[in-house]
Amino acid sequence: MAECSSWQPPRPCEAYRAEWKLCRSARHFLHHYYVHGERPACEQWRRDLASCRDWEERRSDEAQRSLCESERARVQAARKHILVWALRQSPPADWHLPLPQEKDE
Amino acid sequence: MAGAPDVSGPGPAAGEQLQQQHVSCQVFPKRLAQGNLQQGFLSSFFTSNQKCQLRLLRTLETNPYVKLLLDAMKHSGCAVNKDRHFSCEDCNGNVSGGFDASTSQIVLCQNNIRNQAHMNRVVTHELIHAFDHCRAHVDWFTNLRHLACSEVRAANLSGDCSLVNEIFRFHFGLKQHHQTCVRDRATLSILAVRNISKEVAKNAVDDVFESCFNDYEPFGRIPHNKTYARYAHRDFQNRDRYYSNI
Repeated sequence: MAECSSWQPPRPCEAYRAEWKLCRSARHFLHHYYVHGERPACEQWRRDLASCRDWEERRSDEAQRSLCESERARVQAARKHILVWALRQSPPADWHLPLPQEKDE
Repeated sequence: MAGAPDVSGPGPAAGEQLQQQHVSCQVFPKRLAQGNLQQGFLSSFFTSNQKCQLRLLRTLETNPYVKLLLDAMKHSGCAVNKDRHFSCEDCNGNVSGGFDASTSQIVLCQNNIRNQAHMNRVVTHELIHAFDHCRAHVDWFTNLRHLACSEVRAANLSGDCSLVNEIFRFHFGLKQHHQTCVRDRATLSILAVRNISKEVAKNAVDDVFESCFNDYEPFGRIPHNKTYARYAHRDFQNRDRYYSNI
């Protein structure tokens, strides 16, 4: 985590508000139930929005810590599944090569 | 009653040795004619080809799912060029499109893509395959688990299995039905390009499902509609700020 004075919330506060609002919408409830078979959990977005606003107003260390923890937890949750394939270090060599009939022309 | 559902899948394996009859050569007939990868710009196909090109252009310029995928691919070193990486062709059967890993090209079945919304979905689906090809060592031709994984991701993230699309297919279900749809459509996509039994295809999907269903790259979430896709794109554009502040 960046400790120096240049730290800012990972997302603008407006993004946290938009995510919280979307999460609480009836349409999102329907989508989430359709995919996961349960109601969505939106409380963390509300907490993050409050922390973001708190940091903007008071530059609160507690708010900074809370936001970092929350976002790291999201990243961890997204990466917890073992990948089926190995990731590349560089793109495929032939991605930009011309098509075979173009090469022959 | 609706006809057989259209499927999209990778692996028209052009350029691969024709030692055995691939199912894919029956679906994409122009791809595997010896040394012939010409597009169908003959006068009898002009109208459907023209529609395909115009719809593709509109998709590339306006659709938020596709714009995010194009950005993500550019970031991974695979900038997409419309004329190089897309091809509108006539296809057999009900297939809507495919990704040809041997030529790094997305095939769009101009005779089977019905309207702009369908084009949006097909391009999204195939770009997910292209994105996987770009970022990972995907063995499209000999590793069924890799193929199954990309098909699960494409069915999950492209909108193929949205509630509305399933209703139009007369598949009614609500609680967790999305996952059922993803499994079924991934299986169908595999069967469209591989000469294997349904049981083998289904087992491959089941084997990789837990991992691949939860791999949301590059969206970071399941984009249920364009709003989610726009939010995902916003997050992608914000990623430098994000990762430098956690």
